[in-house]
Amino acid sequence: MKKKNRVLIGDNSRNSLWGFFIILTLLAAPLSQLAAGVLVAPSVIVLQDKSKTGRMNLQNPSNSPKEVSISFSYGIPESDSLGNVNIFLRDTGITDPHSALGWVKAFPRKLIIPPHGSQVVRFIAKPPKGIADGEYWVRVVVESQEGTTSIPSASDAEQITTQLNMIMRTAIMLKYRTGELVASLELKETIVKVNETSVDVIVDLINNGNVSYVGLLECRLLDADKKIVSKNHIQLAVYKDLKRRVTLPLVEGNFKRPYSVAVSITNKGRKDIPSNEMVFGNDLAYFVGLNE
Amino acid sequence: MKNILDIKKMIYVLIILGSVLINKVSAQDVANGSATANVQAALSIVATQDLQFGSVFQGVSKTVTNNDAAAAGIFTITGAAGAGISAYMTLPQYISTAAGDDRMTIAFRNTDITIDSTSNADPSAFGSGWLDVDPNSLPTGLVIGSDVTPHTMLFLGGRVIPSVDQSAGSYTGNIIVTVAYNGI
Repeated sequence: MKKKNRVLIGDNSRNSLWGFFIILTLLAAPLSQLAAGVLVAPSVIVLQDKSKTGRMNLQNPSNSPKEVSISFSYGIPESDSLGNVNIFLRDTGITDPHSALGWVKAFPRKLIIPPHGSQVVRFIAKPPKGIADGEYWVRVVVESQEGTTSIPSASDAEQITTQLNMIMRTAIMLKYRTGELVASLELKETIVKVNETSVDVIVDLINNGNVSYVGLLECRLLDADKKIVSKNHIQLAVYKDLKRRVTLPLVEGNFKRPYSVAVSITNKGRKDIPSNEMVFGNDLAYFVGLNE
Repeated sequence: MKNILDIKKMIYVLIILGSVLINKVSAQDVANGSATANVQAALSIVATQDLQFGSVFQGVSKTVTNNDAAAAGIFTITGAAGAGISAYMTLPQYISTAAGDDRMTIAFRNTDITIDSTSNADPSAFGSGWLDVDPNSLPTGLVIGSDVTPHTMLFLGGRVIPSVDQSAGSYTGNIIVTVAYNGI
């Protein structure tokens, strides 16, 4: 008969183990509270011309109520000459004919989400009559802060105290689509810059379609025998013209010169967006030599 | 026998602890039967710690540095690991009393924010990212942490400048941080 060995735990070690678990449990609760903001899903909202409606889910996983307000702004990814991308939100002076600012409404626009509660926000589009086929864009700005603002009290008559309210805003893209949709991307220029320890690839792109081109840009640094020296990829969203930079490390190894860069752009590899919300377009793939 | 019961109790505690920690994690992969789909993690931002100046005195300016673990403002941005994001801040020039009868100057230098993309939550122990940059013009090229810890931290310092005849009382203002994915 096989004898079962049981490890007996002494009083001291048992107490210290219990203490360890209790401390861990106490730590875990405030950690989960700290890590909790208002969660917004999905990351992109698509409205079709047939229904003209959509929805967004807001969730408050924290232990305190959150005051949330919904507003709209216009902002698409824009780049500088070095391929740095930023999104600037604007409320006025928008000349882009693809802007949907002003004709998408949200219900409700102000709400308080109780602790561990959730709320659905609905959208309805009322586009101007006779708009051209294509995609129209607006950013849904979800602003949240603590539901109960604590203003510090100056206990001493001569005392000056301060309180800075931290307000968090998440800007989600909303796309309204109508008519025949075309995704088409054109390469304008590729600049390859060799640095001491890396290679910067700046790809200049033009959107020739009537929807945003959402895809992946992958660059591979190859040696003379087409062996991969390094590779990198980024998520790509081209609304108008856009430059994107991909940095490839120059790693040491048994590689033959001269090097080249293989560039690949496709909108068929995005796993984070449902395929029924994708508008598929052309792919680009080409090689660029390095001038070292 | 008592030891076995204690071990069972410990296992229960571990299960409870595990469920608490699992609740923290927003899943990126959703599996149902034989079908698996990748879902873009929701982008969220949380003020983990307020920028705290504490009590200040008339005519004496007070500075909080961005590496002050107890007083620097801390924001945690959470999302899909490696995803590019855009972020910017709207900062006050003054903070006011609730009645609006007096205001105090608040200033932010062009080195008052540090952005740590290693998920390090301690302002005094910078990991990697952008050290001492301008909060009014956050750098481009921000990304969300790593697969293991998909967070990027913002550590904000600042300075309040009370006048010599500043009224006693409580002064409040708003700091607004906006974030967006730039690859969707």
